[in-house]
Amino acid sequence: MTDTPDPEKLEVLDQRIKAAKAAIAPAPIRESKYEKVSLAWRMVLELVIGMAMGMGIGFGLDSLIGTLPIFLILFSLLGFAAGIRVMMRTAEEVQRQKVARVAKNETAQKGQK
Amino acid sequence: MSTDTTTEEATSGFNIQPMKQFEIHPLFGDGAIHWYTPTNAALWMGLAVFCAYLLLVVGSRGRAMVPSRSQSVAEMTYGFVRKMIEDITGKEGLKYFPHIMTAFLFILFANLLGLLPYSFSTTSQIAVTGVLAMTVFLTVTILGFVINGPGFIKLFWVSSAPLALRPVLFLIELISYFVRPVSHSIRLGGNLMAGHAVVKVFAGFAGALGIGAIIPITAIVAVYGLELLVAFIQAYVFTILTVVYLKDALHPAH
Repeated sequence: MTDTPDPEKLEVLDQRIKAAKAAIAPAPIRESKYEKVSLAWRMVLELVIGMAMGMGIGFGLDSLIGTLPIFLILFSLLGFAAGIRVMMRTAEEVQRQKVARVAKNETAQKGQK
Repeated sequence: MSTDTTTEEATSGFNIQPMKQFEIHPLFGDGAIHWYTPTNAALWMGLAVFCAYLLLVVGSRGRAMVPSRSQSVAEMTYGFVRKMIEDITGKEGLKYFPHIMTAFLFILFANLLGLLPYSFSTTSQIAVTGVLAMTVFLTVTILGFVINGPGFIKLFWVSSAPLALRPVLFLIELISYFVRPVSHSIRLGGNLMAGHAVVKVFAGFAGALGIGAIIPITAIVAVYGLELLVAFIQAYVFTILTVVYLKDALHPAH
């Protein structure tokens, strides 16, 4: 009888531990289909609302002052730009979240090893 | 929907009115609706508030160290919202916890109550979601001016742009500041309304198909599951965006 443990048995035990750890490891966080659809809706809505708001402001100013097409045209352009601005900000935010998620998944995988 | 089309559809046997469930009518009698008239919308909003009361006050009445089931649900909800605020705004945002928790619970319970058969989903009305978004918008804007003084206007004044462009960019930034709350209220209302209308349309098919109704009924079950998910996600999304605005007001520098 020896004090040193059997290396083969240790190897088998190692593999069993690894398998057990893999089984309980959290699945990597991924975007669901629902999230993607709602993101698309969000961006489209922001674009449209920006435009509509600009036109509303322009039309309101025009009917107050009585210079009908000028402010309408001006503010619908501004509104369009604002819509794009909000949309791009949303995209930026989503991108940041994605990067954070990837980083989190990687650290989780490293933690396993 | 006018009464003419209603009778026409009723006689043709194929009776689908997906938008009828969103009609507001007085609880008592059929008179005109004034601002003080108790309507079905008022009833279901009151029930949403009552459910929040049941969860938080009655549910955690025991004040046990080892919480009962209802108390632990209430505590988890509290902890969830609190952690969300702390993660995004840091400690100084926690002062505004009551407003955010109130909005979250109201939207959540209004969404969930709307899923009951024969109920009225208040959050499918743009008027309701619009007011919710407006409270958030006003709070955040006033708070921004109170905390930061007139310097809050710098949020719209892009100082990195060339001087000639800044007034134009100021207008653009100002409009985009107003776009976000409108977009959120439309999204919350639209999501709820679309889901409920879809369920109603499938239900109409089920009535017309006889034995083949098994297919639309299965579809309704699936859509109902999705709606349950949407009810939670939309409440969560609305709340998290509130917190993000709050962060803008507390730290206006981008």
